[in-house]
Amino acid sequence: MRWPRPSGRFLVLLSLLLVPATAQAQGAPQMQTQADVDTVGVGDVVHLELTAQSGDAMPTDPQPGATPGFAVRGQSSSPSQTHININGNRIDRFGLNVDWALQAQRVGVFTVGPPSVLVGTARYASHAVTLRVVASGQAPPRAPPQPQNPMPFPQIPGFTPFDPWRGLFPGADPGGNERGGAVVTTDPKLALDAPAGSFYFLHAAVDATNVVVGQQVTLSVYEYLDEGAGANIEVDAADVRDPSAAELVKHSLLRDDQEATVAGYANVAGRLWKVNLVRRWALFPIHAGDLVIGPMSVTLLRPRNVAGSTRTTDTIHLHVTEPPAAGRPPGYALGDVGHFALETQVAPRDLEQGGAVSVHVELSGSGNVPASITPPARTDVEWLAPEVHEQMGNIGHDVFGGKRTFDYVVRVRRAGEVDLGEMSLPFWEPVLKRYAVARATLGKLEVKAAPAGAPPAAGQAPDEELLAGLPAPRDTLEGTVPSRAHLDDRPLVWLLGVGAWPAALGIAVAGRATGRRLSRAWRTRRASPASELRDRVTAANAACNGDDARACDAAITRALEAAAIAHAGVNVRGAVGDELVHQLEGAGVAGDAATRVAELLRECEAARFAPDSVDVPSARDRWQRAQGAIRQLEKR
Amino acid sequence: MTARRQPTGRRGTTRPLLFFVSLFCGLCLLALAPPASAADDTAALFAQATLTLKEGRATDAIASYEALADRGVIDPVASYDRGLAYATRVRIGAEVPGDLGRAAHGFEEARDLTRDAKLADDASRALTVVRSEVARRRTRAGQPVEVDPGRSLGRTVAALLGEDTWADLAVGASAILSLGLFARWLASVPRVRVACAVAAGVAAPVLAVSVAMALAARHDRLGLREAVVVTASARPIDDRGIAMPSATPLPEGARVEIIEARGASSLVRFGTVEALLPATSLRDLAR
Repeated sequence: MRWPRPSGRFLVLLSLLLVPATAQAQGAPQMQTQADVDTVGVGDVVHLELTAQSGDAMPTDPQPGATPGFAVRGQSSSPSQTHININGNRIDRFGLNVDWALQAQRVGVFTVGPPSVLVGTARYASHAVTLRVVASGQAPPRAPPQPQNPMPFPQIPGFTPFDPWRGLFPGADPGGNERGGAVVTTDPKLALDAPAGSFYFLHAAVDATNVVVGQQVTLSVYEYLDEGAGANIEVDAADVRDPSAAELVKHSLLRDDQEATVAGYANVAGRLWKVNLVRRWALFPIHAGDLVIGPMSVTLLRPRNVAGSTRTTDTIHLHVTEPPAAGRPPGYALGDVGHFALETQVAPRDLEQGGAVSVHVELSGSGNVPASITPPARTDVEWLAPEVHEQMGNIGHDVFGGKRTFDYVVRVRRAGEVDLGEMSLPFWEPVLKRYAVARATLGKLEVKAAPAGAPPAAGQAPDEELLAGLPAPRDTLEGTVPSRAHLDDRPLVWLLGVGAWPAALGIAVAGRATGRRLSRAWRTRRASPASELRDRVTAANAACNGDDARACDAAITRALEAAAIAHAGVNVRGAVGDELVHQLEGAGVAGDAATRVAELLRECEAARFAPDSVDVPSARDRWQRAQGAIRQLEKR
Repeated sequence: MTARRQPTGRRGTTRPLLFFVSLFCGLCLLALAPPASAADDTAALFAQATLTLKEGRATDAIASYEALADRGVIDPVASYDRGLAYATRVRIGAEVPGDLGRAAHGFEEARDLTRDAKLADDASRALTVVRSEVARRRTRAGQPVEVDPGRSLGRTVAALLGEDTWADLAVGASAILSLGLFARWLASVPRVRVACAVAAGVAAPVLAVSVAMALAARHDRLGLREAVVVTASARPIDDRGIAMPSATPLPEGARVEIIEARGASSLVRFGTVEALLPATSLRDLAR
């Protein structure tokens, strides 16, 4: 219901004369309630708007009051502050604008409200509004928003009963800023910590960063112009680059030919900036993940000291998930998010076998309205490709939506009563965070049998069966295959089963080779000259203790030869006389020792091969002398 | 004679006691009562899907089968029937683009998952019917008719035996090879040495092949991702996501190997061809 204009004028006059004084005296806020329409269809959304102004404190905790017949789908609040300074007298005004989105649930006439707010510790209520709800699709079309001046004094721009001081000062702009500095009205929602550039900068914001696939994300791009700089700012229109959003479906919520609209004034780092809305898009993520909205950039032409510099917005990151799998209705298609309604019309209901009927389906709602719907396919009912028309756009309050109509031609090949079934569209309601299903029953058709011998209907080719030979369906689940461990998942199988055998063989081969090497080393050590000398000395001792003088001499000879090898490194076997002496002296043996060894060897040789028998004591004497010679060789 | 007064106090304490006992028992029954199980829900949904499929209501059947898949039900019969539902929708003339691909996906999945040879045969037969229709349409469009290039030689060999069989074979070949070499090393009888050498000579290549096949099968089981093309024309795209006009679209219903997933696109291998496809044109095969 729109605010009645005559009453509005009366209220403006009344408030201009009375309200400021009462507001200051009593602290009761000035409140106004209105709805954007007074008649809606079931499923439609009506916006209930409450505006509250107080001079004492910021109105808080807005409540819509009773909403019979309606469900509250959302609420948005926008606080504002106005500080008026007249000749040193400061007047503060605190405002709160609340918008409730109410969705009609059933037909009837309902009194909604009164909405209320809390100011300080007291709660104040406005008045209730009466809304009429009719059947879905029967509500009168909404009038497009007209830029009207609701004020009774058109010669005072921006005059409002809730801010009677505004407009009384010639020269003040509609935003409430006066160059003389008397009135400053800023919107806290537009305030930023610091400007992103001098004179001019861009700022992008989204209404939500955690959404599901297909949920609307409203992107707003504002330009901030430094009001205090007094500079002429000009942007290069040929070098404006819009934000990139490759992984989101984009719909503009502003008209293509629409100029930038003033969003308000903001206080940024202590300076006053005029804020214009330059882009407002409805974006719909097409898949889950971390998606990116790229920056928007412009190039400045003026002021000249910043000409050529660019101003860009920040990159925005969205975290997109899928709606929950729990409770997901059959037939839900990912991305169908919003609130939708279906209506159908079927005509005619009676036809002949092979004839066709027209099915008109209207899909309306807000959000990511699907571009196609799946008809209820049945055997002997052929749905031809539909003709689609759409009326999509901003349906108010920056919500994208509208309606799409699908006009099908449905051919029926079977006689008798044919039930077309129902159209259904499951969707996810992001506000209520639940699934819902829009349904529309198509009803039944009476199909008369075609006369015998009648030619088949157009497009009907009974001889050509598509996908012939398909097997029959099964009606018993096989069961989940239990996840089992595989043999080769165990490291022991590879280590012991496959690797252990070659490893054992390798160990055996290596062990045998090592044993051979050790044995050879042992034998080599046992065959050394020193051990040979020890053996020969032992043998000589043993021989000299016996009765065989020849054996004794032979043992002495071998002991001396072994000593020459062990201590001098000279093999004296076969050498005689001076040759032997030279060999030993060449090896570093003293001359007398060498001569002594040579003499002993010669004596032993002579005794061994003498024709007469040799006495044992002389042999023992030689052994005594031989031991002395061996010691001399050892001391060399 | 004076009437004896009933002890009302006892009656007054019994009622609250009975009440609390009843309440306790009720709570116990509630606690012990089995919750509505997901299995019942699944069975009911499957029964509904099967009924609607038999009645020829293909769209309703598809919705139910897809709901089963959304709930994480992985069953070869559900996949098979889902493929049949999509194929039925094509057959009754209510085809939605991509139905043939989704039908092929259901049959491929059923063939992979099932332990029932009859079901595997039926799925293969249905797959042949669907791919024949795809090939027929591609012929009409003047596109290559190859819709199933088959698997590579290595995968085909690896699929000849089960993964565990390859592992068993590797263990046996390893043992025979080692024992043969060991015996040949120790034996002194020439005949035994020859026999051992022959055994080791046979076991060595068997060991190499079986180890390679077991490892390949294990790699496929753990790392292989396959999908089926579920759009009517999956045209390869470039790195920017723009369709390449000169590239030949991959056939609907083709089974491809996913080499790498890159967000909204996937690098796939189809036969010897590698191409980047939009992820939405593929549907992963459950394993």
